[in-house]
Amino acid sequence: MSDSDFHATSDEEWAGLMQQLRRQPRAQPQPFFYARVRARLATQQAAAIAWLPAWVRRPAYAALLGALVLAVSGDNAALRPAASASQSDGYQAGQPTQLAPR
Amino acid sequence: MAPSLPLRAASDLPAPPGTSTWAADATLVAQLRQGSEAAFRTLVARFQDQVYSTAFSLLRSPEEAEDVAQEVFVEVYQTINRFRGEAALSTWLYRLATSRALQHRRRLTTRKRFAFFTSWLGFADHSLPEPPDHTHPLALLEEAQQLELLRQHISRLPPQQQVAFVLRHEQELSYEEIAAVLNTTTAAVESLLFRARRTLRHHLQFSPRHV
Repeated sequence: MSDSDFHATSDEEWAGLMQQLRRQPRAQPQPFFYARVRARLATQQAAAIAWLPAWVRRPAYAALLGALVLAVSGDNAALRPAASASQSDGYQAGQPTQLAPR
Repeated sequence: MAPSLPLRAASDLPAPPGTSTWAADATLVAQLRQGSEAAFRTLVARFQDQVYSTAFSLLRSPEEAEDVAQEVFVEVYQTINRFRGEAALSTWLYRLATSRALQHRRRLTTRKRFAFFTSWLGFADHSLPEPPDHTHPLALLEEAQQLELLRQHISRLPPQQQVAFVLRHEQELSYEEIAAVLNTTTAAVESLLFRARRTLRHHLQFSPRHV
């Protein structure tokens, strides 16, 4: 058997194998694939909402949390009592603050 | 049979008006963007075989292919607004299916390595998951054995070569279509396929005269 015959045979074998590969039935998903995709979508959407704790999703708690954040993060001048506000008004830089007589 | 795709040039440029596939795709995408349930159902019905069989060709497991196919359609639903219509819809889906299948396989490999590591250290007592054996009884025949051997070697090819080979020989896409999916040139696809065939023929002991 000559070398060219051997190559011809192997080329034919290769071509035959490729044809065989193409003839294989195409894999298909199980029935009701769409229903499973919809179910997965629903699960993911639910999971995206559920990552926040339940109490954060309640507006009353959210409003309370917002007020708390405002109260601690600002200079809270609006919440300061009038007496202490007048005390600090008397302060001038470089001078000792006069204490109220006892 | 996979739906016909526009040529490489058409994947980068808008298709000429009057291209029926392109027009159908554009209509479907517009409806999907409006949140049409019917359009999503149509999309899944039209492309489920294509997406599933591509994933199956790369993963060789019905469960993994199902998982990837579902993931692809969920992603399409969630990111349809990002689809710019520069490529055909089927090209986008092939791209998602191949990249998600390869990602999935990487995750599985990592998990398997981690499981091996933990079992080696004695953290886990369970046995390692083995890939399912889908060998049909007919595989006892020589031809089927040869095909099974070919599939094993395809799964060991580098990812790009594997995708190119599967899209060419199992999904029967043209070079131009494969180039669009891989976002590369036709010459690069030819090179990938040449190397893939050479490797496979070498392992299957077919001496190449021309591959």
